[in-house]
Amino acid sequence: MRRKKKIFSFPEIEILIKIVDSYSPHFKRNEVCFHVSRNIILKDGDNVLNRMKIKISINKNLIRMCGGNPMKQIIISGLIVLILAPFLYGQELTGEDIVQKVNDLFNVETAHAKAKMTIQTTSGQKRTFIYESWSKNKGEKNLVRYLEPRRVKDQATLMLNNADDIWMYFPRTQRVRKLASHAKKQKMQGSDFSYEDMGSGDAFINDFSPKRLKDEKMEGYDCYKLELTRKPDSDVSYSRLIMWVIKENFVPVVIDYYDEDDPTLHEKRLVESDIRVIDDIPTAMKVVMYNKNDNTQTELELLEVKYNITLADSMFTERGLKK
Amino acid sequence: MKKWLSVLVFFSLSLSAVAAQDRVELFGYFESQAMGADIKDEFLLLYSNKLRVDLKSSLSERVTFAANFDYITFHGKTEWNILDFLPADVIAEVPAGTEAFYVLPFSDRHFLDNAYIKLSFKHFDLTVGKQQISLGTGYVWNPTDVFNIKELFDPTYEQPGHNAVRLDVPLGSMYTFTTLFSPEDTWKNSAKLIQLKGRISHFDYSLTGIEKVWRFHDYTQFDPVNMNFLELPGKRKLLGASTAGELLGLGVWAEYAYNWMENSEDFCELVVGTDYTFNFQTYMMIEYYRNTLGKTDYEQYNLNDWMRMIALEQKAISRDQIYALIQHPATDLMSVGISTIYSISDNSFALVPTLNYSFSDNVEIFAYLNFNFGKERKVFAKTMGNGGMIRARVYF
Repeated sequence: MRRKKKIFSFPEIEILIKIVDSYSPHFKRNEVCFHVSRNIILKDGDNVLNRMKIKISINKNLIRMCGGNPMKQIIISGLIVLILAPFLYGQELTGEDIVQKVNDLFNVETAHAKAKMTIQTTSGQKRTFIYESWSKNKGEKNLVRYLEPRRVKDQATLMLNNADDIWMYFPRTQRVRKLASHAKKQKMQGSDFSYEDMGSGDAFINDFSPKRLKDEKMEGYDCYKLELTRKPDSDVSYSRLIMWVIKENFVPVVIDYYDEDDPTLHEKRLVESDIRVIDDIPTAMKVVMYNKNDNTQTELELLEVKYNITLADSMFTERGLKK
Repeated sequence: MKKWLSVLVFFSLSLSAVAAQDRVELFGYFESQAMGADIKDEFLLLYSNKLRVDLKSSLSERVTFAANFDYITFHGKTEWNILDFLPADVIAEVPAGTEAFYVLPFSDRHFLDNAYIKLSFKHFDLTVGKQQISLGTGYVWNPTDVFNIKELFDPTYEQPGHNAVRLDVPLGSMYTFTTLFSPEDTWKNSAKLIQLKGRISHFDYSLTGIEKVWRFHDYTQFDPVNMNFLELPGKRKLLGASTAGELLGLGVWAEYAYNWMENSEDFCELVVGTDYTFNFQTYMMIEYYRNTLGKTDYEQYNLNDWMRMIALEQKAISRDQIYALIQHPATDLMSVGISTIYSISDNSFALVPTLNYSFSDNVEIFAYLNFNFGKERKVFAKTMGNGGMIRARVYF
């Protein structure tokens, strides 16, 4: 049956994209997740620019067109890229939308990583830790176990309910200690990361109100710039964050942390680099936290990462913690 | 000495051979420690060196074997006369001719501290052998722990292993049922434990029942047969509960135990504690402890009270006490703190400044000073001696 010709105005396409975007968490990243095949007439006022059948394939990061003859395709594609894309992706994404996408990126269904953490002190000394971590239910359950150095080997931390419940296991005394959520403010093995910084579930959404600022280039990437202000009922350790999010993949390439009491006092800066796509998920293999106050830095390097693997619930229990 | 060095060398060689096999880990630490105390205008020093060698082997997914061998040597003032610390009227209770038995010797020791095998089945874990038994949620005091008594100035130091058979049965992801049997000479004298641990909302709970023979001594009577003070074994039946969680943003915990005694008065113990980490990284903790076995009037402390406390047979001799700790990371490698233990019942206290320093990845230094502020006869009397301790530990 011949399709009925439909004129898609720019706002209509925008709505279409928004609908697709709202479903995007359900689609696998970097896969085409939606196709629209229509005979369309592009108009500029009353002037018909072109009539053709096009197919728009949309996913988070891509608008692709096909159909018509190649020349027309190029023209239309060019039009879409030059006119539509900046309009659709530049204007309609609110601060909330972007933070949600950053949150989705961090909170994959399951993950396992082996990481090396190197602390560089004010005196230039280094301390190195290697640990393994497992997470399930989009970061709702987390288990971290230290492998090196010997001093902390087999020490483990279990975080459930988005780190509202924390237990620590000390192998030397074989004790498991339940910690209150304030323990998240403590430095992770004396590093520049607090447990809170390591990201716990929906922290960016639950603890902060986002506001989109003017886009900027940062670390060579075109970025959305956001200001996240602490919500009144939150007890998070920072009054606000400034976040630069790469437009292409929603990786927060730089995050500035501001003092708890003085929103003008820049406390720490986190820089993500060596971004690779692993199991279809853009992943920063190297993260450095610079402490502006203490003039120290901690580098976190991912040695191994796997996503969407099978993890038993029994891992995330006291029995699993002591293993 | 030579004999034991040979044993140690043999043990090390054996371990090396075992470690050469797959899935066997060999690790441990060496610790050097100096302790000092100002007693009767003399500063006494005791040095110790400890080598701990750990062996852990996951023979398969479901079978783990772990053991550790400790070798400790003491130097300096290796014999401490307890009577030097005690008030004159308490010393008067000492039976004539037994003064020499109030000397606390620090002799070189070597022993297998832990050695157990853990079998992990789908629905339960079975641990058999000498193993650490850690009970309760308290930081300094644990009313439900009848197996260990922590050092007041160093409460996080590892506890010795106990021979036991332990069965842990997870009941879903929230609950665990545990039974433990620690054998003695007869079934009747052996320790038995049952415990149910679980989680409700953001709180952990446990209910514990224990039966164990409490072997404390009467330090006013001498047993010439055993050439020691008279042992007064008595069966102790304990029913306890503990919890830990969060309330109004504070970490909170509590532990309670009621003890039915076979040969002496029943008593109960209670611990309530809270902690908090400020955004500027300072950590603060307060813990209150009540022991109805303790006395409310320091004039009543007798020789048995003092000796049982020093010999770690009894957790406290005063009824009510508070432990408070403030700790702050002074630099990225060093944290400093100060703790105080205040005996409410006799109004005396000790101040304990502490220091933790990470010298390198596997070397840490821990030190504390202790200053007592209390009249003679009180728990933290000045006459108990101000002093301190410094410990360097190298992990391998």
